[in-house]
Amino acid sequence: METAKKFGAARSGQLLIVAALAIAILIASTSIYVYELTTQKQSAEDGSIVELALAVKTGLRNAAVSALANITQGGQKTVLAENLDTLADAYMRLYLQQICQIRYKLPNSAGYEDGVKISWNSNNGLGVSSVHIPYMLKVLAPTLNATLNDAVNITTTLRVHGCCTVGENETLRTVNLTCMVFNEEKPAQAKWIAVYYEDDSGAWIPVNNPSITDWGNGTYSLHFTVALASDFVHVSVHVVDARNIFVVANTTCSQTV
Amino acid sequence: MKGWNSGQIRIIEAFLAIFIIFSAVAISANLPAKSPNPANDSLASIGMQALLQLDSDGSLSAYIASGNWPGLREALNLLLPAGVSFNLTVYDAQMRQINMETVSNGGFNSQEITLVKYVCTSRSPEFHCYVIYLYLVVAK
Repeated sequence: METAKKFGAARSGQLLIVAALAIAILIASTSIYVYELTTQKQSAEDGSIVELALAVKTGLRNAAVSALANITQGGQKTVLAENLDTLADAYMRLYLQQICQIRYKLPNSAGYEDGVKISWNSNNGLGVSSVHIPYMLKVLAPTLNATLNDAVNITTTLRVHGCCTVGENETLRTVNLTCMVFNEEKPAQAKWIAVYYEDDSGAWIPVNNPSITDWGNGTYSLHFTVALASDFVHVSVHVVDARNIFVVANTTCSQTV
Repeated sequence: MKGWNSGQIRIIEAFLAIFIIFSAVAISANLPAKSPNPANDSLASIGMQALLQLDSDGSLSAYIASGNWPGLREALNLLLPAGVSFNLTVYDAQMRQINMETVSNGGFNSQEITLVKYVCTSRSPEFHCYVIYLYLVVAK
């Protein structure tokens, strides 16, 4: 009995080290397991949130393009909010185990009215059709909450400038115009172009078969002849871009010497 | 003298035990941050990216609006990696199925099916909202 006690007392230090080793292994393995589990889960969720944010932004962009095409072709401005609400409802119903909210506020500043800016009437050769949608995407999942603030802007811009020359017959004016089409400030293709000029009575007359040269980089040269008494020609260029967005720009072509 | 020596050894052993436990705690607390490996992207991510790419220029909704299911099948075949089988179903906003024709590139012979849900909106002046269910499996 005494021998056993002596043996236990002699070995208690070694037992302490073995116990410490066991505890250390337990701590390390638990930590590594938890670490692996959380990093895998986190990276997968981060990836899906990023993709969801991209999908929402793409959906909002398409809805905005659709609304602007509709509004510029005579539709109501409320179409924009209707499109966005339809998209937000679809996302709300799509995910059952998480909440995916899209909230937007259509601005009434900087020329925008309910998120829509139509600037066609200035005579400075610039026409703008635009929508601007600041939005907030909120994702509430069981293991992750994320909020993203971003904005979508869709703008078709038309720039027109030109001049006119007097022909041999002094009532004939030959007009040379240069039109540039931009989508979000990048050169873009036009799908349809029409030109009007203001006659001596103040009525807008369509130009039949103007000569149009497409330079392939969003720039178009237009050339036509009109019969007018005045020294300058007021022209209005109407363009539909590849996204079906309509835009108008007006300018005055003065005589070149 | 012998008792004094064994006392010293006990103290050294106790210190050793404390050192072992503390080193385990220290190593656990300083595990390096691990960056996600793009090679481990899941099938769902691949499917989502294919749909995003098709939708970025409005061609996804154009295929659906025109009922061009063979064209959509071909586009997905090109965008998804070889060896991935897919089956796509398109619903309208009220969850009524739109495609009466199967949009798929083969049979599903795997138990591990990945579902990608995607909301697609049209760019045309007449607005449409579609809900897409893309089922993916790795062909064996």
